[in-house]
Amino acid sequence: MKNLLKQILTSMTNIDGWHILERKIESSEVFYVKDAIDMNRMKNVHHFDVTVYKDFEENNNRYKGSSRTKIAPTMSADEIKEALEDAAYAATFVKNQHYPLIQGYGEQSVVMPSDLSNKHLIDWVPEITKVIYKNEDTIKGINSAELFLNRNHYAILNSEGVDIAYDNHDVELEFITNWKNEGEEVESYKHISFSDLNKEQIATEIQTMIEISKEKASAEDTPSLKGINVLLTGEPAKTMFDYYLTHASAKSVYEQISTFKIGESVQGNFKGDAVTITLEPMLKNSSHARPFDGDGLQLKTTELIKNGKLINYWGGARFAHYLDLEPVGNIDNIVVEPGSKSIEAMKSEPYLELLEFSDFQMNGLTGDFAGEIRLGRYFDGHKVVPVTTGSISGNIHQVQEEFYLSTEIHQINNYKGPKTMQLLNMDIAGN
Amino acid sequence: MKVEMSNYLSREKSKLKKIVDTLSETFDYVSLLGTDTKGKGYGVQRTGSNLSDSMWTERGFVLRIYNGRFYSEYSFNQIEEDLDAFIETLKNRFIEEHQILHHANLKTISYPILQEEAITKSFFSEVKIHPQEVSSKEKIEKLTKIMEEGLSYSDHLIDFRCSFEEVNISKCFISTKKDLEQSYIWTQGSLVAIAKKENKTKFYYDSYAGLKGVELMDEMLEDAKSIVDGALQLLDSDRLIPGEYDIICAPDVAGLIAHEAFGHGVEMDMFVKNRAKALEYLNKPVGSKHVTMHDGAQAASNVSSYLFDDEGTLGGDTKVIDQGILKTGISDVLSAMTLGTQPTGNGKRESFERKAYARMTSTFFSGGHDQLEDMIGSIEKGYLLEGVMSGMEDPKNWGIQCMLMQGKEIVNGKLTGKVVSPVIMTGYVPDVLNAVEMVSEEVKFYGSGACGKGHKEWVKTADGGPYIKTRGRLG
Repeated sequence: MKNLLKQILTSMTNIDGWHILERKIESSEVFYVKDAIDMNRMKNVHHFDVTVYKDFEENNNRYKGSSRTKIAPTMSADEIKEALEDAAYAATFVKNQHYPLIQGYGEQSVVMPSDLSNKHLIDWVPEITKVIYKNEDTIKGINSAELFLNRNHYAILNSEGVDIAYDNHDVELEFITNWKNEGEEVESYKHISFSDLNKEQIATEIQTMIEISKEKASAEDTPSLKGINVLLTGEPAKTMFDYYLTHASAKSVYEQISTFKIGESVQGNFKGDAVTITLEPMLKNSSHARPFDGDGLQLKTTELIKNGKLINYWGGARFAHYLDLEPVGNIDNIVVEPGSKSIEAMKSEPYLELLEFSDFQMNGLTGDFAGEIRLGRYFDGHKVVPVTTGSISGNIHQVQEEFYLSTEIHQINNYKGPKTMQLLNMDIAGN
Repeated sequence: MKVEMSNYLSREKSKLKKIVDTLSETFDYVSLLGTDTKGKGYGVQRTGSNLSDSMWTERGFVLRIYNGRFYSEYSFNQIEEDLDAFIETLKNRFIEEHQILHHANLKTISYPILQEEAITKSFFSEVKIHPQEVSSKEKIEKLTKIMEEGLSYSDHLIDFRCSFEEVNISKCFISTKKDLEQSYIWTQGSLVAIAKKENKTKFYYDSYAGLKGVELMDEMLEDAKSIVDGALQLLDSDRLIPGEYDIICAPDVAGLIAHEAFGHGVEMDMFVKNRAKALEYLNKPVGSKHVTMHDGAQAASNVSSYLFDDEGTLGGDTKVIDQGILKTGISDVLSAMTLGTQPTGNGKRESFERKAYARMTSTFFSGGHDQLEDMIGSIEKGYLLEGVMSGMEDPKNWGIQCMLMQGKEIVNGKLTGKVVSPVIMTGYVPDVLNAVEMVSEEVKFYGSGACGKGHKEWVKTADGGPYIKTRGRLG
């Protein structure tokens, strides 16, 4: 199929370039209710995304039109030709400033190591099931779970000679934990992804969520609070950095969404901890680790923000070209340097630590962040009480000049960085 | 104009029937869902344009078999030329995977064999203007015109983004008893104004969707000015002082509450897992007498209105809440079997590659008899909430999170012109629904979004409602 596509594309005289992304995915999936298998699924699929390009000029300006189409492996040669001709026609009036495609740099193929490559995916299921349901606590505490084991093959080719491929694995585990003390039964939700089989990590994540559910089962309503220090721990701390990633992208700068400038502070006149972010394409055990981006660009470790100042814009070939920069590529893994305060030091005065939300969100465009609290720990200066309900909301501009990052770091799939971010003087909508 | 069935699925149908018939010699239940969905997305913004296949485009199959104990599925998108050998391979994959699980002594749930009634039926929707009747160029030009108009209204605008998407879904469902076919078109669009003043960036949008063709674009033509005005107003917005307020939820916010508060809470696969508080409240009050809520593929005409779901069950109209009393939930076929209830035609998949779950279709509150101006007039201090950004469900503990674009201040029964943004509404669902005391007449629907189950499994749904007056905790 790939060769047929190449043959048709190279014979088309009405286009000036093309790009093929091939994906093959084989998977084994198991769905559990309590500790019993409710359903198993298998998947074996093959996809092609083809983009065609057309260069043209209008009023002395050069443009590159493009259109992407999905080619199913069951399409006949005539159907493929029709889909590609349709895309070629569309590309003639999709008007974007001209940019070059990535140039070829020799055929390359990378097989990313993973324990999961050692045997058939289904053969891992009994072993992983025993890790999930390791002891009486987990058998009692897990309400349901879903396990996805994926074996992936990617190939990227373009008309300029890019011809690369890589193979990887990824695992997704979603689980719900329950706990009941004297009040209502409560539940917690967790979705984890990784690229290698780390049984200890799975067991730790599950045990942590069961402990969170136990704590939540005895939580009181969150009080209304004014001027409290908030500690965002875990996923919400990771989410806060989305603002910096959005605004450090070449695309956002080109579209005037961002005013970040290289060499300038991204945190205003800050007196708290400075943000330092590095993009790490091959971050160990991240399901987003990959040697090449979707354009076919070879990726390398890149400093993005150092001590609060922007070092590079990230992004693919198109938007980097518009800003007259060498492309960094699209890298999905970030490493954030630890901050100056230990979590213990952050907890030396009254605080509200927020660990679990319904869905904590950072709007990368506006910098607004908010979420409904599912589990927090409130310390009023005397005792720590688990709390639930209520919400936090704010804007990055209101907090970034003095927030603190923990010295303790951890990894959440494609994020390696501080466990906790301390925000000062926040208001909480509670009861 | 009538929408036609996919040529591909029609051409392959005899092969699909042979797969089902042959595998039925080995397994007690076999069904096959075939999908061929074609769509295109058009977008223009100040810095360029794009035209690509829709993210919903797919062509493939999912087989479901009963392995003697529970159900197994196989998703694939190629049928090998040697059909007999291919069927043999499929059969062996099912048997081998089941044996590995069986020999590992893993606990499994025991299901009965699915009993189906014989049905042969088809559905082909009608649209005024079929997407094939209007060239891609004309659609991009129309969007460009709206964008240029939008951008002309203010120097504070960074961008005015316009998008349109057309999707033609063709599906067939084949089992030993069922032979179902459907093909329908939905379209959706959005207009987004992004404005900036000093350090403050805000966006305002409106969306459009329906079981419609290109005629949907006509609905987008007149709105550019009001959307720009909305964005400019947000630039002057304040942050809300957290607290509990009397609120009026606009139809889009009412729809979000219907969807998040009770829609997810009555998905009956959650009943099976004991993840839904609703199970304890069947035939009990969960809201005031003004609250009546429906869900169903046949309950409204919008983006999730179909003849049959992804498990071959015919879609229906389920009255979930009747005048404040919780009556029933919405169900996929396996959950219904476990619970001893009837499936409601709500078994939906993100794509042929994913599992079917109990999912919403069109979920909405019914209209009442109040007028919006009377509702505003009845509030001493509160907010009219408009603009949905996102929501999150909590079926187990009935919490609700709604992220909203803005709240328009009401003081002494009048809108003051002051706006707060953004607004997060949280609370305990029965508290919000029990406090509903006024409901306007007209019900509006919104189908431009996608709904996840937890944080994945995205499907098209619509929701809506009238204006409702209640009380809520805002932050």
